Amino acid sequence: MNDTVIELKGLTKRYGYGDTESFALKDFDLTVKRGEFIMIMGPSGCGKTTLLNIIGLLDRATSGEYKLNGENAANISAARQARLRAKKIGFIFQNFNLIEDLPIIENVALPLVYTQTPRVARLKQASSALSRFHLQEREYYLPSQLSGGQQQRVAIARAIVSDPEIILADEPTGNLDSRSSHIVMEELKAIHEEGNTIIMVTHNPALTTYATRVINMLDGQIDTDIKTVADHKLPKPVETRKKRKGRSR
Amino acid sequence: MSLLIKTHLKLARISIKENRTRSFLTCLGIAIGVASIILILSLMGSISRLISDQVKNIGADLIVVRPASNKDAMTGIIGELTASNSYQRSNLAASDIETIKSIENVTAAAPIALSTHAVSTEKNTIGSVTVLGTNADFNLIQPLALRFGTFIGNNENVNKTAVVGHTLSLQLFNTTNPVGKTLTVMGERFIVMGVLSEVEESINFNNVDFDNVLILDIKNVEEISGMAQIQQINVKAANTDSLAEVSNTIREQLKEKKQGDSNFMVAYGDEITHPAGSLFTIVSGMLTLVATISLVVGGIGVMNIMLVSVAERTHEIGIRKAVGASGQNILLQFLFEALILSLLGGFMGLVLGYILAFFVSIVTPFAPYISLQILLVTFGTALLVGVIFGIYPALKAASKNPIESLKHYR
Repeated sequence: MNDTVIELKGLTKRYGYGDTESFALKDFDLTVKRGEFIMIMGPSGCGKTTLLNIIGLLDRATSGEYKLNGENAANISAARQARLRAKKIGFIFQNFNLIEDLPIIENVALPLVYTQTPRVARLKQASSALSRFHLQEREYYLPSQLSGGQQQRVAIARAIVSDPEIILADEPTGNLDSRSSHIVMEELKAIHEEGNTIIMVTHNPALTTYATRVINMLDGQIDTDIKTVADHKLPKPVETRKKRKGRSR
Repeated sequence: MSLLIKTHLKLARISIKENRTRSFLTCLGIAIGVASIILILSLMGSISRLISDQVKNIGADLIVVRPASNKDAMTGIIGELTASNSYQRSNLAASDIETIKSIENVTAAAPIALSTHAVSTEKNTIGSVTVLGTNADFNLIQPLALRFGTFIGNNENVNKTAVVGHTLSLQLFNTTNPVGKTLTVMGERFIVMGVLSEVEESINFNNVDFDNVLILDIKNVEEISGMAQIQQINVKAANTDSLAEVSNTIREQLKEKKQGDSNFMVAYGDEITHPAGSLFTIVSGMLTLVATISLVVGGIGVMNIMLVSVAERTHEIGIRKAVGASGQNILLQFLFEALILSLLGGFMGLVLGYILAFFVSIVTPFAPYISLQILLVTFGTALLVGVIFGIYPALKAASKNPIESLKHYR
């Protein structure tokens, strides 16, 4: 089985033309293996979020190659990209990005709507995802009725509800106090130990202890790239995920 | 796909419920447009049904011969309506009736010659009475209920006979039964042979108000006024199957008799009501066009409110796209909302339209007429308006950039 999930080669993202030209990413190379927990650090405007957006198929690179599970992203149709976002990619944002009008269980079930899961099945899956984060009693609360830490846990539940292969987190603790941050990080750690690949952007150097690999970015390029865990020691994903799937269905 | 449609419907319901007032006002815009279309169609439907019922009552085996000009259909209709038939120089003569009668499969032929004369009795004089000059066949073709006596031409001993309408009888003789009494038209005395029963429907294809008519034999009319203007000849065929054949023969024989001049028309079935029917089609078409304008205005309202909705929910669109909604998903979500708005409006308009038509029917003889066709047209138009005016906002929503949308806070 191919262990490489993401492969970036010479990836460039340019904004503007001529005098206003600027690069968010410049000749960026990166290979991500299954089960890695990567933390990306770096000053503001160094292209971290752009990188996440491109990996998450929300944005397209100006040039260069992005292979997701060996498939060139440039050749994937918009409709299939959307389906991949629903099935294979989970997003976690700094500002949670929950839909205010929907109860949290519907928010968590949102990706399943677009994978055409029947309503009862998707509410069941959402419910079990929420109970994992100890929010089962608040399933029908609206997001605004929860604290920031709770909202972020709802967002994480939404990111994992369809058992994605990659979880992309853009400063998930940026809006949280240190206690809530700790809880959120422990949840992410647990998810990672089940074999998920996580790429997380953060400004907080204290959190790098959770990571298996820390990348420092500068001006759209990799500055340092340190692996703290050897590749063969990365958590084995496949069986664990299958076990969890079996339980939830 | 059906799962997604269910979800879209649910989302649309939530969204419409949350913005109750503005959704209602948007629906109202559509409703007014639809209501005016319903009103027009249902009233026009009831009028044309009234006309075709007249023909059905007379019988399916009727052929009508009318003088006509060789103008094209549209101006012909206007001409027929504006020029009063009573004063038109007729191309039909009394001898034509004999020609028609001699044709095979013709069981009866009766002329209709309307004129206005002063009529007097011993007691009263009425300055203008509609005089219908016809023959005994008239009663075979369109049996008139007689309250007293017999129809004209049934008594060979009496030469100058007359039949009076119910109301006219009261006005002339101050009694409902004047049979045997005499009346004077242009100095000639006529014996009243019969009185018609009161007629419920005063409108009919002959253009005669049978309550106020004086029926005389056409020969007598020719005698007293020199010449009878025949506006129409009603012909009864032996059976409905021979209608086409008989009407063709009439056309040929009359044309031959008139040396090739085809200044008359022969019609049967629905064609009889054709001039009136065409006029109503034109009028209702025009009115529907005007009503459609208000529907377009309503549609613009839908588009406006959908654009507001899309702008308000930009952030939500961003979230949905990030978790896996495709452009098509978003497009359908907003298109469904627009469709439901306009369908709700269509339904409101349907109810409103029939209430209005009901009120109109109180002051006019036209009962509101509901048909599946009208219902389909209404929902069809509402749906069409929803699609036409909902597609642009939905496309706008679908084409939003997810990254930009996520940055868009409420």
